[in-house]
Amino acid sequence: MASLSEEVLLVVKKVRQRKQDGTLYLMAERIAWGPEGKDRFTVSHLYADIRCQKISPDGKSKIQLQLVLHTGESTTFHFANESSALKDRDAAKELLQQLLPKFKKKANKELEEKNRMLQEDPVLFQLYKDLVVSQVISAEEFWANRLGGINNTDPGLCDNKQEVGISGAFLADIRPQTDGCNGLRYNLTADIIESIFRTYPAVKQKYSENVPHNLTEKEFWTRFFQSHYFHRDRINTGTQDIFSECAKQDDKGLKSMVSQGVKNPLVDLLSLEDKTLDEGYGLCTSTPSTSSSNRTVKDSSNSAIIKRFNHHSAMVLAAGSRKGDTQVDQASETSSTDGNSRDSDFFQPPVKKVRLQEAIEYEDLQRENGPKTVALNLKKADRYAHGPVPLQSQQYTTSQDIINSVNYIQHEMANYKPNLTQVLSSTSASSAIAALSPGGVLMQAGAQQAINQMVPPEVQGELKHLYAAAGELLRHFWACFPVNTPFLEEKVMKMKSNLERFQMTKLRPFQDKIQRQYLSTNLTGHLEEMLQTAYSKFHIWQTRRMMRKT
Amino acid sequence: VIELNTVHFETLLYDINSLCVCVSPSSCVVCVQGHGVLEMPSGTGKTISLLSLIVAYQRAFPLEVTKLIYCSRTVPEIEKVVEELRKLMEFYSKETGETNNFLALALSSRKNLCIHPEVSSLRFGKEVDGKCHSLTASYIRAQRHSNPNQPVCRFYEEFDAVGRQVPLPAGIYNLDDLKDFGRRKGWCPYYLARYAILHANIVVYSYHYLLDPKIADLVSKELAKKSVVVFDEAHNIDNVCIDSMSVNITRRTLDRCQNNVDTLQNTIQKIKETDAAKLREEYRRLVDGLKEASVARETDIYLSNPVLPDEILQEAVPGTIRTAEHFVGFLRRFLEYLKSRLRVQHVVQESTPQFLKDIFDKVCIDRKPLRFCAERLQSLLRTLEIADIADFSAVTLISNFATLVSTYSQGFTIIIEPFEDRTPTIANPVLHFSCMDPSIAIKPVFQRFQSVVITSGTLSPLDIYPRILDFRPVTMASFTMTLARTCLCPLIVGRGNDQVALSSKFETREDFAVIRNYGNLLLEMSAVVPDGIVAFFTSYVYMENIVASWYEQGILENIQRNKLIFIETQDAAETSMALEKYQEACENGRGAILLSVARGKVSEGIDFVHHFGRAVIMFGVPYVYTQSRILKARLEYLRDQFQIRENDFLTFDAMRHAAQCVGRAIRGKTDYGLMIFADKRYARADKRGKLPRWIQEHITDGSLNLTVDETVQLSKHFLRQMAQPFRQEDQLGLSLLTLEQLQSEEMLKKITQIAHQT
Repeated sequence: MASLSEEVLLVVKKVRQRKQDGTLYLMAERIAWGPEGKDRFTVSHLYADIRCQKISPDGKSKIQLQLVLHTGESTTFHFANESSALKDRDAAKELLQQLLPKFKKKANKELEEKNRMLQEDPVLFQLYKDLVVSQVISAEEFWANRLGGINNTDPGLCDNKQEVGISGAFLADIRPQTDGCNGLRYNLTADIIESIFRTYPAVKQKYSENVPHNLTEKEFWTRFFQSHYFHRDRINTGTQDIFSECAKQDDKGLKSMVSQGVKNPLVDLLSLEDKTLDEGYGLCTSTPSTSSSNRTVKDSSNSAIIKRFNHHSAMVLAAGSRKGDTQVDQASETSSTDGNSRDSDFFQPPVKKVRLQEAIEYEDLQRENGPKTVALNLKKADRYAHGPVPLQSQQYTTSQDIINSVNYIQHEMANYKPNLTQVLSSTSASSAIAALSPGGVLMQAGAQQAINQMVPPEVQGELKHLYAAAGELLRHFWACFPVNTPFLEEKVMKMKSNLERFQMTKLRPFQDKIQRQYLSTNLTGHLEEMLQTAYSKFHIWQTRRMMRKT
Repeated sequence: VIELNTVHFETLLYDINSLCVCVSPSSCVVCVQGHGVLEMPSGTGKTISLLSLIVAYQRAFPLEVTKLIYCSRTVPEIEKVVEELRKLMEFYSKETGETNNFLALALSSRKNLCIHPEVSSLRFGKEVDGKCHSLTASYIRAQRHSNPNQPVCRFYEEFDAVGRQVPLPAGIYNLDDLKDFGRRKGWCPYYLARYAILHANIVVYSYHYLLDPKIADLVSKELAKKSVVVFDEAHNIDNVCIDSMSVNITRRTLDRCQNNVDTLQNTIQKIKETDAAKLREEYRRLVDGLKEASVARETDIYLSNPVLPDEILQEAVPGTIRTAEHFVGFLRRFLEYLKSRLRVQHVVQESTPQFLKDIFDKVCIDRKPLRFCAERLQSLLRTLEIADIADFSAVTLISNFATLVSTYSQGFTIIIEPFEDRTPTIANPVLHFSCMDPSIAIKPVFQRFQSVVITSGTLSPLDIYPRILDFRPVTMASFTMTLARTCLCPLIVGRGNDQVALSSKFETREDFAVIRNYGNLLLEMSAVVPDGIVAFFTSYVYMENIVASWYEQGILENIQRNKLIFIETQDAAETSMALEKYQEACENGRGAILLSVARGKVSEGIDFVHHFGRAVIMFGVPYVYTQSRILKARLEYLRDQFQIRENDFLTFDAMRHAAQCVGRAIRGKTDYGLMIFADKRYARADKRGKLPRWIQEHITDGSLNLTVDETVQLSKHFLRQMAQPFRQEDQLGLSLLTLEQLQSEEMLKKITQIAHQT
């Protein structure tokens, strides 16, 4: 297990774990502990699995270090070297402190995802508590099925948080306030920083490059607000401004946006004119020269402001709709990559045609074509068309049968003659009705509402949890069929024992509790039934297997 | 004339209405035998009514009107016209049940029509033209016979081989249809279209093809006399005419010209050694003179070309420039003279006779050879088999200038400026040869074609166009919109909340109070108007200044709380991007403001339908830059020749641009929009009276001199009203007629009444 090539960063001797003396090793990717005199580790955790470390308070006699894992388990190490226990512990702690954050980033997004799911879905959380925390099934088993299911479904569904756009004026919201002594205060919130990053990716890049290695966060933002980049109308003085590069990148971005051209031919000013006059013809009245040589400083700063507004608005817009755009971009990329501009020419006409049609149509002149309908959004069209399909096809009744039976019933009805001599007497009839009405003698047991009232809410809740847990387990169980791989075989065995364990540890106590409370009704009958079905299935499968083996 | 028209008038309305197109008071009485001026708000079916009227007439009297030439301004507009035409034709064949044999097509430059894989991938029109020429010129193709490796355009070859034998089948061809057709057949769509317009029933193209003598000579020369010409979006037609006849010469032009002349010289030398016969042949041809052209023009086959005046057709090319070397020497001398003129230290302004006299005194160049210059150069370029014509644009320009300057003693002026006004220290001499009389360029069109219709959404005041274009219209009419609800709301903001008069006039334009109030107006409007707002400034410089000071005062930041801001720049590509993003922002509900410039590209070519423009704000009166010498010369000319006072013309020009800007917002009867004129001068009768009737009639006395707050209140009210659902039933019978309603006695009476009024 411990390959020799692993780099060992720290070795601490005389560390006890579960009252056993041993040695603690801190390696490049994991922390491990082995009992004294043996050359294998009984405890080994990847750093990525560790959520945090805890240390015992200074005054305490036992000097300990506890590692809490993401799974919720924890391991405690007791530093037992009398002379240097504290030093050893601190050394280990320091090293871990450095190491853990590195792995934390890597520490799977999955984990966050799991956490989020648990937080968002109370039912799932309860299930998790019931099954994993009580160790009916392991966490991996629990998640293996969950996450897979998530990845299969539409990512838009699970990520149902709505994307929030950026306010166009987020820069205006950071109004500087004078702080009295010749300085300015800018108030930044997390939202604004987020907005700045999303609108100006170049700034984000600078941030991740410089913070926290070169600058503190505060310094970074101070420089940002002092920079020429932020105040476009000021003249650029310092060349060491870290944001001067950003400006260049923005310019580049703007240029690339411009060079991409526009998709809507009706707003393309370049191709608007049919015949531009040749150079030298025409009147050039009052067109100020645009040659850069004789532009004043003020002019260029003015045009920088204009550029900046265009860029800013475009970026805000893009940040708001980045998600939707990616697909469009991909589409356009595929069209542009497979050839020169000739191809784009082939793709253009449909867009153009639609735009032209839009432009010449007047909506008030269209004849209305019936009432407007709402379009159905079908995930599976065939399912909509056929409806749910019954499993057993033999149970179909032919239409002939149906017609026959209808005819038969009609016939019966037509020939029905009340046999008035054999009816009940009016008194017994009214008493029967009374007995059958709500609140009557016969209506006391078994009705749905009754359970509501009879069973206390906490029992109901517990029952619900049981159902959820049982359902989850059964789902796992049934998912193993048909058992065609050794892995599944193993799993089905395990699931069966899981079910049994569930029955023993969860269901039985509940049943006892119910009995104790004299809730005679067979609340758990259905649960039992489900479990029995699973068991019988398992037995059938097992006997078959035995037979095949023999 | 009226009687004749009412017949077709009915067919027209019938057409329109069965299409369920609104009956705007489109009682357009197009005079079939004369010229007309029509003003009609956009979105009322101007195009379709004109089209259906003329098509109906064409069908009824195929011999009287053989062709409709529909000229529009931009490529999208051209394509829109063709699509409307397609709709009309579909309707015809549905109603009559027969397929009609109309041929209608759009023509555009090579850039929009080329299907040659290499050539069409070039980005600029000029490059495409040059490359195309280098593949299709006659001598290139002749060379191919001896040298099969010479690249040629296979589409052109194919078209040349078989394309002319069978006429283009009847149908409606838009630019893309032409391309498709060309690809299918392997023919060049551009040359196919150019060939097909000769026998097409309807041609749709840009008005440069008719007005610019350089292009018209190539394309439109042979179009039939019995055609109806429609100039749509023609409010700027005088400027187009002037542009096409004016020339600017800078030092750079002359340098390039010098190179051209050197190249010519070398080529002549080379050819002389190898193929002297060719030059002799050319000489012989020149002795014969331009007789062919002269015959053609007399027999009325050609549209006359103002660059090729009638007089020179009678004569042979003068002996002094007949041989190639002499001509090159002549060009050199002319060039040297121009160079010396550009070396001036002060501004010079002179008339063409003065210029001719000076050139005769200094370098002994006579008027006569100058007049033949353009023609002679064309001949030489053909003889020398120059492959890339685009390279010779400079010398072509100079020769065109020579011909023009020696032909017209009136209507042109020459201004030589040694430097720009803004930068007196940097020498940048320019010779402006500017046309002041738009009627020169358009005269052949009026003379040749039996009826010419000038139309636009904003042509007010109507009477000025016949005067500056020098023609006598049979009808002039300005229509309004019949509206079921007042969907436009013109407001004139004269004061800020602090009672400071708002105006962009020169004295107050730097005033901070005015700028701040303008900013407040935009800020307040951005809070009440949904979706898109378009704001126009009077000039680009003015906009830059205002934006800068709004930025300093933090007004823009506050506006950003409500909407995103996009700003037009001088770079067309950048502006296109801003425009698209603007539309995207309006589309996704965030809302945006577009700051733009009157007379800019956006104000001319882009429509802001529905939510793309719920309000248009016009900051100031968009007067043209009055200090320019060219403009001054033109104003003087207008006063002397047409008795139009300077102020009248300036106001007219400013108001047509203002109307053009605010008119961008309303594109139909279901559309609605605010039109805010933010300058107190708009309230004056002389300004207000020059707005189009359909805007003017909605300006009430109560909305003449509003403060910013009052404007916001009125806007809120208006927008709330407009936001109510508006259905077809509301319009029926009022601004929308069904067929039955149309045919009712009462309505017919009403329509004839309107027709007579106009």
